[in-house]
Amino acid sequence: MTPVVEFRNATKEFRGNPAVRDVNITLQKGEVHALLGENGAGKSTLTKLLAGLYPLTSGELLLDGKPIRFESPAQAMAEGVAMVYQETNLVPSMNVAQNIFLGDEGFFNRLRGINIRAQQHLQRLNFHVEPTALVSTLGAAKKQMVEIARAVHHNARIFIFDEPTATLTPEEKEHFFVLLDRLKTDGASVFFISHALEEALGHADRISVLRDGELIVTDRTKNFSRETIVQAMVGRQLTRELYGVGKTLRKSRPPGEKVLSLENVSMGKAVRSATLSVFSGQVTGLFGLVGAGRTEMMKIAAGVLKRDFFHGGRVRVHGEPVRFRVPRQAVNKGIAYITEDRKYDGLFETMGIAQNIYLGKLIQGENPVLLTSMSEAKSQAAEWTKALNIRAINENSKVVELSGGNQQKVVIAKSLIQAPSIVIFDEPTRGVDVGAIAEIHKIIEDLADAGAAVVVISSYLPEVLNLSDRILVARQGRIVEELDTDEATEEKIIYAAVH
Amino acid sequence: MPEKSSQNFPAGETIEVSAAKANRDGAWLFANLAKSQEGIVLMLAVLAFIGFSLFLPSFLSPGNLLALVRSVSILGILALGMAIVVIGRGIDVSMIATMVVSVAWAFVLTRGGLDLELALVVGGLFALAAGMAIGILIAFGEVPPIFATLAAGSIIYGLGRTFFFKLEMQNVPPGYEWFSFFGRAQIFGIPVTVLTFGVLCVVVHLILSRTRFGWLTYAMGNNPEASRITGVPVRPMVVAHYAVSAIVAYGAGLILASSTSAINARLFNSTMIYDILLVVVLGGIGLSGGHGKVRNVILGTIFVGILLNGMTILNIDYTIQNLVKGVVLLLAIVIDSLINPRDEQTSQQGDL
Repeated sequence: MTPVVEFRNATKEFRGNPAVRDVNITLQKGEVHALLGENGAGKSTLTKLLAGLYPLTSGELLLDGKPIRFESPAQAMAEGVAMVYQETNLVPSMNVAQNIFLGDEGFFNRLRGINIRAQQHLQRLNFHVEPTALVSTLGAAKKQMVEIARAVHHNARIFIFDEPTATLTPEEKEHFFVLLDRLKTDGASVFFISHALEEALGHADRISVLRDGELIVTDRTKNFSRETIVQAMVGRQLTRELYGVGKTLRKSRPPGEKVLSLENVSMGKAVRSATLSVFSGQVTGLFGLVGAGRTEMMKIAAGVLKRDFFHGGRVRVHGEPVRFRVPRQAVNKGIAYITEDRKYDGLFETMGIAQNIYLGKLIQGENPVLLTSMSEAKSQAAEWTKALNIRAINENSKVVELSGGNQQKVVIAKSLIQAPSIVIFDEPTRGVDVGAIAEIHKIIEDLADAGAAVVVISSYLPEVLNLSDRILVARQGRIVEELDTDEATEEKIIYAAVH
Repeated sequence: MPEKSSQNFPAGETIEVSAAKANRDGAWLFANLAKSQEGIVLMLAVLAFIGFSLFLPSFLSPGNLLALVRSVSILGILALGMAIVVIGRGIDVSMIATMVVSVAWAFVLTRGGLDLELALVVGGLFALAAGMAIGILIAFGEVPPIFATLAAGSIIYGLGRTFFFKLEMQNVPPGYEWFSFFGRAQIFGIPVTVLTFGVLCVVVHLILSRTRFGWLTYAMGNNPEASRITGVPVRPMVVAHYAVSAIVAYGAGLILASSTSAINARLFNSTMIYDILLVVVLGGIGLSGGHGKVRNVILGTIFVGILLNGMTILNIDYTIQNLVKGVVLLLAIVIDSLINPRDEQTSQQGDL
């Protein structure tokens, strides 16, 4: 059978650096094909080649056995290729129906007519979304449905999902995979990028593993196991617990002094009367599903967000009540918040590594005409680039050119150079490759061993279980459960987070 | 801060370095220049200079060149103030209003009986207050800079014309000969105006590249939200930016008044503010903030200077001059966005 998509010796170079190297891969009709690999392995680039975002440097792309060369994403779309990004490309101020018909409306439109047609379309797909709902009011899973519905409406037959489940709750994930099966039975072909190995193992027909731009292995899913995949991804034997294969038994650290506490803290609808304490010398894991308000709680503690003025509760740092107006005040109190979205509020992208890290140091103190220089920045940052093992092609590289793991380490270094006593990590390993995950976990452990109070917010359970000495579970803006690391299991945590 | 690409070769990568050195001939230089907006503007400036020198006999005379540099010095000084604001991801279109009103008010006060020295201090304080008020509006009121400064410019000008002075033309008060020093005097044959621009260039360069204030300014332009979380005092910094640009505008106004013996409030309605933006953008300081250096301002100033001077000698109509400036500005912005695309896809190229 002719494959729907076939790459032959596909190579894509960026400024002479190959991102995808000599890859031969096929996608059959009605197949779900998972692409796995570390960050920077080239899976995103490969799918972007198919979506027409970049042209191939060399090699061939065949659609239904015919060679084709996409000049633009629009052309790929016309051929039936639809890419569903992690962040959806919907217009939030329009309703579902308008979004589905976007770019396809007649010259004159009647909203009612579009709504009815959208309703029919959604029913055919068996998607339960109200066509008149505003997209901005929908959850992540519903948005994804709308995006898929739009792609189907535009006659897509080849779908690319880039980390589709990253922002979904467990229930939404289940629903997503039902959708995936439906697409499959309708004869669509799917490329599916994920970091969660169990999703690939559970739902893909075939799995391909990429590493450093090269295709390492392609095979039927039943011939894979977690271990073989991880091994293919990293090309070396790795500590098993990293991917939650097995939990190491270690003694949990005893709590030190109570350094940070939130008492009945509220902020709008996101945080409702949350109470929690953080102790020095240990790692406090904060688990919760997306929307549980865990990031908001910690952002309040770090002064990034402000709690309600009336009935907002109380925040104490070292026993002393505080109300931070700006993050700077929290930073001066030794609280560091390390963001979950480094592109948005973590990195200074066009600056170098040394400048990024040194800026953390530079903001301490009051004197604005304090003299500084590049050599000063480099000497201050050198210690941290070494300690955190930040690697770059050369020391003048801009951080935007680094891999995800190294970017994350730059953000961490920028905060640690301030010598904080309370460190809040928000999703510390999101979008970070496997090797760097281990290193970042080591940094977190070392911090706690050195006596700092560390908070780790994560929606990845193995990570929480592995790192934490104490686990807090958030749901609907509250802390609903506190578990000791010895008694905590995945089931208990999920149960608390959902019910 | 953007580094020159030629500095980016590390000592370790010998193959690449030697290859680059082997290719370091004219074509390579040209190709490299054409890659950055700065390079393109530099080439255009050189071309314009050569062109005007060849076809306009009076262009290359020392007298004209001096006049050229002198006439753009004030524009250059104003552009330095604007550059600081733009690097910090703001924009200040109220500079001309602050300039004319504070200087004119100082003159009016002097004629009312105040010493010029004291009146100048009052004018300076007014400019400082205006700049800080704008900064506070933007930093704490969270008004977008373009609207805040546009409105503030009208308010400042309106205030000045209503309460401080009625006449558009305000002459330098008689009896203060020293005041003409800044605009007219020469040291070693170089006009003080040009020297002031030069000194200010050095000062601003040192501030931007060697002080905490400068570094934090780049950080804010680069990523305001990350700056905030890292602990940069974002709001005081914003206030400081607009205060600095207002003071710079006041200083430029004094030099202008000194050289022409008067300040004309009608400048507020002229295209001067767009000329400043032309200098800044053309020189290569992107309006998106976070990059650009003093040398970009100098480059932009020289290019605009050559262009304006050449067109004036050619006796091109003022309206057509504006047309040319507009077209050049648009081209610069288009080229800038083609060379430095800032959309999502390119910023994602980091994690291929």
